[in-house]
Amino acid sequence: MWGGGSKKPQSGPAQEMVQVGTYFGSILLCSPEKLYCDKNPRNPIANPKTTTLLTRIQLQTGPKVLSGEVVLLSPILPHPIEMAPTSNHTLPPADSQTKVVGASYSYADMLNFENTPARPKTPTHSKHKSTPSGGSHSPTTAAASYNAFMSQTDDDWGLDLNDASVPKETTVTGGLGSIASMAGVTSIEGRPSGAKGSKGAGGGYEYPLAKKRTKGLKAQFEGLVRDPGNSLHMIYHPPINTDVHSSAEIEAMNARISRINKFKTVLQSSTVDLTKLRSLAWGGIPDELRPMAWQLLLGYLPANSDRRVATLERKRKEYLDSAKQAFSRGDAGMDQTIWHQISIDIPRTNPHIPLYGHKTTQRCLEKILYVWAIRHPASGYVQGINDLVTPFWQVFLSAYIEGDVETFNPGSLPPEVLDVVSADCFWCLTKLLDGIQDNYIHSQPGIQRQVSQLRDLVRRIDSGLAKHLNDVQVQFIQFSFRWMNCMLMREFSVKNVIRMWDTYMSEGNSGFSEFHLYVCAAFLVKWSAELKKMDFQEVMMFLQSLPTKEWGEKDIGLLLSEAFMWQSLYRNSSAHLRDDGTTVHNEELNL
Amino acid sequence: MAEGGPKPSSSVKLVLLGEAAVGKSSLVLRFVNDDFQENREPTIGAAFLTQKCNLPSRTIKFEIWDTAGQERFASLAPMYYRNAQSALVVYDLTKASSLAKAKHWVAELQRQASPGIVIALVGNKLDLTSQSTGLENSMGGLSLSAAAGDGDEEEEEEGDARQITTAEAKSYADEEGLLFFETSAKTGHNVQEVFTAIANAIPESTLKTRGGPGSNRAGNGTGGDTFGSGGVNLSAVGETNKDGCAC
Repeated sequence: MWGGGSKKPQSGPAQEMVQVGTYFGSILLCSPEKLYCDKNPRNPIANPKTTTLLTRIQLQTGPKVLSGEVVLLSPILPHPIEMAPTSNHTLPPADSQTKVVGASYSYADMLNFENTPARPKTPTHSKHKSTPSGGSHSPTTAAASYNAFMSQTDDDWGLDLNDASVPKETTVTGGLGSIASMAGVTSIEGRPSGAKGSKGAGGGYEYPLAKKRTKGLKAQFEGLVRDPGNSLHMIYHPPINTDVHSSAEIEAMNARISRINKFKTVLQSSTVDLTKLRSLAWGGIPDELRPMAWQLLLGYLPANSDRRVATLERKRKEYLDSAKQAFSRGDAGMDQTIWHQISIDIPRTNPHIPLYGHKTTQRCLEKILYVWAIRHPASGYVQGINDLVTPFWQVFLSAYIEGDVETFNPGSLPPEVLDVVSADCFWCLTKLLDGIQDNYIHSQPGIQRQVSQLRDLVRRIDSGLAKHLNDVQVQFIQFSFRWMNCMLMREFSVKNVIRMWDTYMSEGNSGFSEFHLYVCAAFLVKWSAELKKMDFQEVMMFLQSLPTKEWGEKDIGLLLSEAFMWQSLYRNSSAHLRDDGTTVHNEELNL
Repeated sequence: MAEGGPKPSSSVKLVLLGEAAVGKSSLVLRFVNDDFQENREPTIGAAFLTQKCNLPSRTIKFEIWDTAGQERFASLAPMYYRNAQSALVVYDLTKASSLAKAKHWVAELQRQASPGIVIALVGNKLDLTSQSTGLENSMGGLSLSAAAGDGDEEEEEEGDARQITTAEAKSYADEEGLLFFETSAKTGHNVQEVFTAIANAIPESTLKTRGGPGSNRAGNGTGGDTFGSGGVNLSAVGETNKDGCAC
């Protein structure tokens, strides 16, 4: 909880503190129970770097510190969160053995589990009062201990979230809807050590799903279903250990933490500043935050956190009702042409990725595509749209599960999770397609236009290549039709496409219709040297299976930067599109 | 052209048309790579591939445009069949509506494409029918007897998914002067034969020879053996004998 940090110091103990370091002029203090980041913990430090700093200090000091309470003085929250007096979350100071407050460390005390062999790995029911002692083996990986930790705690907060009164339990002065709904998570504090006072703990309450929880399903899924903002508090940072990790690795881990925290700063705001989010997301969104960020960038999730829960409920219901209606009368009530096309395309969508071979995935995607198609009669379903839904499916599903989504079997997920993921996919796909509708209507004028713009653009950017393609009689439509129709999804792995979409969505409404054009241009001229040596046949074969298998995030990042450069140079100067002549810019600008 | 020296080599532009998911790309994959993949991604726009086919007197290099089947992409088709010398119009013999679509394409080709275009009508997915290993079929498409169709109703009870009888399609092909084959891209059955028959049926006068010294290369991986006595049958588009090469 970010929120806790602002509150805790006020009721916190006036214990002896030792200085453990300084950073940016702040003095870091550590009490037996808390790590403070200032002389005066009541004054949150308005330095965003603090967050990172604390994370580092925290993790580098090792597990010992983690046995005390960590108080993050987050500069992120505009207002401190006031806990209602009746709240169980305000724990007496002496009580805290494993209090972890602050989003970055929500689960940081998993480190303790690493060192606590006594903990059962995956208890299916929790008797919180008795210290588990039966565990004969200690989790060997961080992930395992994470699971162990979560299964120790999930029942409690699952219960809280089921409880309609939850939001009232915690008064949030900052208008932070997502924080409010995190009330359940707040109660994670102290749970592993006995959860004194936390509701539901002592009574031996068994959260029903704890028993039958799907393998790989995150314990906190119900909170996520309700509000994607909860993902902000579920980020797992692997422990940094100077003995194990090289300095480069530590650097990378810290960079990741720092980047995540930057996103959190923006995403936790009661009204997300979309401009800020766009500028951050342009360079790529951390996996954990992508589902929420995409939904915000596409305008599906309201920027105002107060409206989120209600909006999502309404939208999801609308989709599910539509789907129900569309399929209610069986085959007879369905558009056979559309349904047939969708049902033959779904089994051949991303056939090389196991996730898409599972029936559950196929049924969900079919439904999404069919509902979209009948609601958009001007285009209906067009091949390629089946590709476009998959990044959403993968990204939104990943929010609820642990491990690699591409090899996940969603078959045993609770229906409510599948419903929610499907509905979110449907709406985000709808938002995306709204911007490129004329790509899929009769005669596909949007694609025709983009292909001809690409030709003109390449003529300007790399006239030598344009001339060569012309000489060997390769027409742009012959290879770039697919680039436009499938948004380059046949050219890149889904993972790479997802990274590209971070940027596309950050470009606003024109990302998929306009920026994409510049990406295509940058992509084509990348192969200029090779292409210029090829004849018609070689060019065609090469362009149909470009060597992008090994491409990773860096390559995509570079491509996007190049596209950005071309866009800056040529956007709003449509004159160049008709000017086929000179190579004035060519020498100067060629990469 | 054909006389003297090494075998001349000619390029033949071929276009595949047909309803979505009838197996156009799979036929090409079988012909070009002798491979089959279940659940291939749908073709978008068109795919370009090449393969050689060795005939006794010459080598034909097919430049293949494998088009997307969905109706929405139909407006692209003229670009691909415009200068095509041959066309493979494919239907799924387990799906009745796909023959109707095939007929539509044949009509459009006859109306819009080059006058001399060689058209083959191909019923694919023979492996899904009970006669996939039937004797008739192993003899090549054109020799399929009408009897093959007779057994259909009976066979259907044994899980035969066939919806279009050989007789029905064959009689249509005869009327329109088309080559006719039933194939299985999955098993490879009759696939090479289709392309060989087309190669044989291309009128020599329409071939642009790119031959000459050095062009006498064996087809790469097509098993460019040449058998048969008839050589190249140039006489009629609709009546290719099955003696061509089995490339």
